[in-house]
Amino acid sequence: MTTEQPIIETKEATIQFNDLIAVDGVNFTMKEGEAIGVIGPNGAGKTSFFNLLTGLFFPTGGKIFFSGKDITTVPPHKRVAMGIVRTFQLVSVFDSLPVVDNLILSTNRISPDHESRGAFFFGDAHRQNKVEQCMDALKLMGIENKAHLMTSELSYGDKRKLELAVALSLNPKILLLDEPFAGLSDMEIGEVSQIIREVKKKFSFVIIEHKISHIIDLVQRLCVMHEGKLIAEGPPAEVLCNAIVREVYWGKEEGLTCSV
Amino acid sequence: MDIFKTGAGRNLLDLAIIAAGFLVLLPVLGINRTTDFIIFCVFVLGFNLLYGFMGRLSFGHMLYLGTGAYAVTLFSEHVSQNPLLAIMAGIAAGALIGVIIGPIIVRTTGACFALINLAFDQVGYFLVLVAFSKYTGGEDGMSVYFSKMGVIDFGQKPIMFGFALLCLILTYYLLKKFTTSPYGILIKSIKENETRVKFLGYNTFIYKWITFIISTSVAAFAGALSILNYGYVTPSFIDPSRAVEVIFAALIGGSGSLYGAIIGGVIYMAISNYLASYISRWEMFLGIALLICVFRFRSGIWGFVAGKLKIREAA
Ligand SMILES: Nc1ncnc2c1ncn2[C@@H]1O[C@H](COP(=O)(O)OP(=O)(O)O)[C@@H](O)[C@H]1O
Ligand SMILES: [Mg+2]
Repeated sequence: MTTEQPIIETKEATIQFNDLIAVDGVNFTMKEGEAIGVIGPNGAGKTSFFNLLTGLFFPTGGKIFFSGKDITTVPPHKRVAMGIVRTFQLVSVFDSLPVVDNLILSTNRISPDHESRGAFFFGDAHRQNKVEQCMDALKLMGIENKAHLMTSELSYGDKRKLELAVALSLNPKILLLDEPFAGLSDMEIGEVSQIIREVKKKFSFVIIEHKISHIIDLVQRLCVMHEGKLIAEGPPAEVLCNAIVREVYWGKEEGLTCSV
Repeated sequence: MDIFKTGAGRNLLDLAIIAAGFLVLLPVLGINRTTDFIIFCVFVLGFNLLYGFMGRLSFGHMLYLGTGAYAVTLFSEHVSQNPLLAIMAGIAAGALIGVIIGPIIVRTTGACFALINLAFDQVGYFLVLVAFSKYTGGEDGMSVYFSKMGVIDFGQKPIMFGFALLCLILTYYLLKKFTTSPYGILIKSIKENETRVKFLGYNTFIYKWITFIISTSVAAFAGALSILNYGYVTPSFIDPSRAVEVIFAALIGGSGSLYGAIIGGVIYMAISNYLASYISRWEMFLGIALLICVFRFRSGIWGFVAGKLKIREAA
């Protein structure tokens, strides 16, 4: 295999809900180590596209490959084991658990280099070394002092950070972030994007975001979706000058100009 | 007191508190009733693992209790009258039914989950009452005989009481281990958001199935103990209409805690045993007690007390 093998690739990926085609014949490839931003208006099919990549839904047409392997109908938990990790548009952490417990499952997965079956079922979830692993993940996000609060007591921004901590502790090969900045204050957006900048060298990642300015210096490539179709892709500067893109997407965000 | 701060110490303390609690009840309730209460608490613990911890409410748990009861009966009738072996057979039968019907049941959630359990229970009730009445004694039920094991004779009430208490403590201890392990966090996470758990890399189906099997096995254990205690089996042990008993007990106690399950079991049994002898339509008062729990003590009686005393259970 060559190094040019895409880490993830879709061929004519399509998903149809009743009459609505949410993702329409998308051909997408991504090289290892790449950072890609996905933009597009509400309802364009961005989240649905993530759902196909991660296996929440299986496509009604087309194929999906991970490192050359056909994963079109591989269930989500197996994709996570392969290294495909995601976050959700609506923040999804476990409100009924203490903050630190949100990380126990991602740091305790049963596998040769993680945990034996016996320890998973009978071992104390809060053994010292386990909790330390969880604390390290929280430290990275700067919320380790909240480890013993109930998750429901966290602010929205801290929940976002916790969700990112969980995703990172799953050792992603490719990380898919669905609007991680939604609902955050400008200061929090700064903090979170700084963290992403620091860790992103370790894996490939795709980020969905509404405001292009938030991601323009995080990603090397932009993909624009509109009505289920991938209508443009390329380096951010080029995409911003694309006439079709400007038509469907522009006028909505101030201060972004085509600088060619 | 430092020993009680360590995990093992905490566990020992819990076990001692449970044993002491039932020893205190012993002179109040008498030995027969206390033994009944203890066995019922084992049943509530099994039910509550599925409901309180994993968020799956079953309307058909009498099936699993009844499976244990009838397995013990048939085992003693046809294989051996050794009581310990018979109980093992009861638990194994409970596990087996969980293994077989679990894959169908755990695919569902919510009302569908509740009702599919009930449907299976109705099938089981019919089989016991009609189809296999030749082996089960049908409506009349049948006597079950156990041999003595040396000096241990379960026909003697103090021995039966001690054994039941031991079994409750053992069940509590095992479930405590399960619910404070990463697996325990997993099933609580499934209760809150199963989809999310899949995206943490877990095949939730398998874990729901395992939880179901543990729950049916513990329920069958309680059924087996009941027969050991009574020496008689009747279809009431598998009667679908009795499903509410264990549900009420779990709700009264507080659904997501092991202590709560035991307290709920005792309170339910106290209401149903004593109110019934004073008031003929005692179920109304049970209903009122339940309404109070649902609206006033949302996390059950134990949840309320623990909250007041700031006890945060690890489980
Ligand atoms: N599970 C579903 N069932 C039916 N329609 C859906 C489902 N998920 C998404 N859709 C529809 O697909 C379209 C694309 O949605 P989505 O992928 O969430 O867009 P975006 O994330 O770009 O805002 C929307 O019209 C949405 O209503
Ligand atoms: Mg979306």
